[in-house]
Amino acid sequence: MTREPNFDELVGAETSDAERERLRRAHELLLQVGPPPELTPQLRKAPGFGVTHLPRRRVVKRRALLLLAATLSVAAVFAAGYTVANQRGGSTSSTLPRLLALKGTAAAPHARATLEVWRSRSGNLPMTLSVVGLPKLPAHTYYEVYLIRNGRPWGACGTFRVAGGAHAVTLTLNAPYSLRKGDSWVVTRPGAGGVEPGKTVLRPVTA
Amino acid sequence: MRKNRDDMELALDVPQPRLRAVPSEAAPLPLDASDAELLARVGERDRAAFEMLHGRYVRPVFSLALRRLGDRGHAEDAVQEAFAAIWRSASTYRPERGAAGGWLYTVARNAIVDRLRRNGPAADAELPELASAEPGPAQHAEESYTAWRVHRALEELQPREREVIELAYWSGMSQSEAAEYLGLPLGTVKTRTRSGLARLATVLEGELL
Repeated sequence: MTREPNFDELVGAETSDAERERLRRAHELLLQVGPPPELTPQLRKAPGFGVTHLPRRRVVKRRALLLLAATLSVAAVFAAGYTVANQRGGSTSSTLPRLLALKGTAAAPHARATLEVWRSRSGNLPMTLSVVGLPKLPAHTYYEVYLIRNGRPWGACGTFRVAGGAHAVTLTLNAPYSLRKGDSWVVTRPGAGGVEPGKTVLRPVTA
Repeated sequence: MRKNRDDMELALDVPQPRLRAVPSEAAPLPLDASDAELLARVGERDRAAFEMLHGRYVRPVFSLALRRLGDRGHAEDAVQEAFAAIWRSASTYRPERGAAGGWLYTVARNAIVDRLRRNGPAADAELPELASAEPGPAQHAEESYTAWRVHRALEELQPREREVIELAYWSGMSQSEAAEYLGLPLGTVKTRTRSGLARLATVLEGELL
């Protein structure tokens, strides 16, 4: 399980009892709520309001007409596809991995990890990643866990850092996505120039 | 107002933002301006105040949206809509009726619920063979508000405090490992952690503590 921070280690013995209790409550709240989500570059920037738009009603109307036309044209195809998907077991939840073993790539040959997928909670899918053998990264750079869909990085699930290859790290992550059959995960390190996703350092062990 | 390509793309995703931001001629905003002061300025179409408010609340709003919608794409859209709603209705905020944080929570939650009604929740990828531990609606709401307040309070920390708090709580590092990672003396990490916790406690005092 996740290594829970030790309150006594964090606060030390130099604080008064009253202050200690105040800090303990803040400590418990941090444990209770978990980390805030990572923001995409788009979300980090406040939305712009400097553009005059078409009235929304007209936009919605135009979109509705387009949607209606598209719906009519593909209805038959959709019905057929839906039937086929059901016959092939299109539902994914029963096929989700519950424990995924990951091994280091050439970029981190000594790395090993397990990823445990838990039951969905509040729209997020909690996961526990236990990893050892990853080298320490330069300051302000992070390893990133990526959801892999159709063989390609599809969505970021969280970042973490390690103190060095000898240090085992266990942490909780969230995948705020709807999972599908065949989804998997990898761990990457930053690419040149901070390009994400970077180079894969851990990938699933295949049978 | 400067209009670059990114501005255009972002703005087009936001519903009915037909009012133009106008450069504020008011006094410059202090960094420690209260949320209520920022809202008042946003109500006067002060773009700088809006950006400051966005910086303080985008993470709590996103967190709330993820909890309710369960889908990152929908949540990102809901964040944009929530801030569009804040921009539109900031002038209706009345400080005598309650704290700005509570007002912002309500506006954001309503925007998220609107999105939920339009799109429906994302398909849940739960593992059916495990027993459900899902909270009920009341507990869910309380947890959401607690997370909102705590994530908002984290934005009040100095970056160096926040860094050690994040390492301690969510990266699985011990204090010694964090000190080694940051290249700082252990005592400095402990001091920053303690001061960060104390600041959090102060910010949250009276509401959650």
